[in-house]
Amino acid sequence: MFFLKMAFKNLTRHKRRTIITALIIAFAILIYVMTEGLMIGMTEMSFNNIINLESGHLQVAKKDYWEERKELPLNNLINPTEEMENKIEKTAGFVALTRRLNFSVRLNNGVDELPVTGVGIDLSQDSKVFKLNNYIVKGRMPREGSREIIMGTKLAELMNFKTGDYAVMLFRTEEDTFNTIDGEIVGLFNTPHPSLNENSVFLPLSTAQNRLNIENKISYYAIRLTGREQAIPAAEELSQRLEASYKAYSWKDAAKSLVTMLEMQDIETQVILAIILTLAAVGIINTVILSALERMEELGMMKALGMHQREIVYTFMGEAAGIGIIGGVMGVIMGIIGLAIFNINGIDMAAMTAGGDMTYGFPLSGTIYAGWEISSFIFVFVYGIVISILSSIFPALWAARKDPVKAIYHR
Amino acid sequence: MSLIKLIGLEKIYQQGKIAVPALRGIDLEIESGEFTTIFGPSRSGKTTLLNMIGCLDKSTAGEIIFDEHSINDLNSKELAEVRRYNLGFIFQSYNLIPVLTAFENVEFAIRLIDKHSKKERRDRVMSLLEEVGLGEMADRRPNELSGGQKQRVAVARALIKEPKLVLADEPTANLDSETSKEVLELMQEMNEELNTTFIFSTHDPQVMDYARRLIEIKDGKITKDQRRD
Repeated sequence: MFFLKMAFKNLTRHKRRTIITALIIAFAILIYVMTEGLMIGMTEMSFNNIINLESGHLQVAKKDYWEERKELPLNNLINPTEEMENKIEKTAGFVALTRRLNFSVRLNNGVDELPVTGVGIDLSQDSKVFKLNNYIVKGRMPREGSREIIMGTKLAELMNFKTGDYAVMLFRTEEDTFNTIDGEIVGLFNTPHPSLNENSVFLPLSTAQNRLNIENKISYYAIRLTGREQAIPAAEELSQRLEASYKAYSWKDAAKSLVTMLEMQDIETQVILAIILTLAAVGIINTVILSALERMEELGMMKALGMHQREIVYTFMGEAAGIGIIGGVMGVIMGIIGLAIFNINGIDMAAMTAGGDMTYGFPLSGTIYAGWEISSFIFVFVYGIVISILSSIFPALWAARKDPVKAIYHR
Repeated sequence: MSLIKLIGLEKIYQQGKIAVPALRGIDLEIESGEFTTIFGPSRSGKTTLLNMIGCLDKSTAGEIIFDEHSINDLNSKELAEVRRYNLGFIFQSYNLIPVLTAFENVEFAIRLIDKHSKKERRDRVMSLLEEVGLGEMADRRPNELSGGQKQRVAVARALIKEPKLVLADEPTANLDSETSKEVLELMQEMNEELNTTFIFSTHDPQVMDYARRLIEIKDGKITKDQRRD
């Protein structure tokens, strides 16, 4: 304890130097906390967007359909039965289910044509699972049984559509023949999910089924649970109760590429932290060497009095830990302030990308808010101290190994 | 019984390709409780001899017997142990730790041997500081003390662990004559009171007046060894 006390007192010798070195650590922590906060915020928003607008918590589909789902196939569809829906409703945490039918559409405005995804939605149930209706910015949702459609403002802008216009949806039926829907645009939505805004057209499920000639078949059931953490065990449990050709998939399965990307991003954040803290470590090494040089006579005295090398090293490590703690506290405070500002104002992605929807692969747009995780603060605080201590070892050993006579008569 | 016995002690420093002899066959015995001065001109080998006796440096040839144990074959860790428990040092430039108070500077030395309770430690440090006349200044940092007061703290630091031997390298070189006298009287008093052996190097005649044994060294050899009553 005495040596630790002495180490901490040594920090007061050159207060400015201590503060500057600690500030390097503090900035490293600030950058990490902000980056991590942004990542947490983006992850949280992305996951919510996927759940609320794309997949729900669970999806039940035929295994063969799931494999090819990105192709929007019209084979391996589900023939909904009361028995299957009863099974789904018995899932732990079940809140609601809805049926959806995805199919490939070429959207035509008379001049241009764009490939988009047509989504037939069960209008009586869809809002219990998804939150699309919350994002209608103009007009309304379609009516059941009608040829009314809604699309994203971005897509409408691209195709020069407005509410009240008619859009021709060209598609192939199950029998591979062409058919069209002359859909009246009754609503425009602007969700925080950019790909939904840009390439999806929603219409009543019955209309889609009728024009695709597939009776009442659907692509999948989407299910809302009470919480997203229940999705993975619920998917496993429900899959066991379903027929062998069916499977329940959690939202994480639906967003597998995003989850992988986030894991990569996480590694990227750790690499950033490692680089910044390496720079901070150089600062610590510099400080310890300077301290040792300034205190050479004192070190000689300590060795003359019988202080062992390891005790001298511990003293320097204690000082470095002190710098790490000061830097850590400053960094955490700066991080909290930074994240608070970030959370109050958010970052407007549209403003940053001059009105564009640049998403860097994330299913989100609009204003992004940072996330908080106490574990990130604890991690980076401890990491900063550990790096400080580790980076002090070699210069401290260099100082501790000095010949006592040379150290005493340093000047 | 001798506390220190030096037999044919030699020390040669290598400066590039040139060998510079600092000590050339020193034979010396110092008894427990002696108050000895090693004197001589600059670069005569005083400090080198003191460093050898203080287990800070290793000899090139010869043998050093400390308290009946040869220290020639000890490694640096073992030498540190000998210094830790048996030796006290007083330096010309005090070498106090500036961020610690007078009390803590003295406490630092006793902490290294760590065989006392907190209360016992505190009492010992305070009583020694009072003995050196700094009881009232225990909470002052070195920059708040005069040169003489700093050297008194250094004396207290050297004596706190009741070492068998205290080595002082030019202890009064940075002090004025009046303060030097006070510090020397203090060391003499401690020598008599605690029977601690003192060896100090100097070329100050005033210091020599206090010594009971005078050893002169020139060109790395003892040229005079005189005891006084």
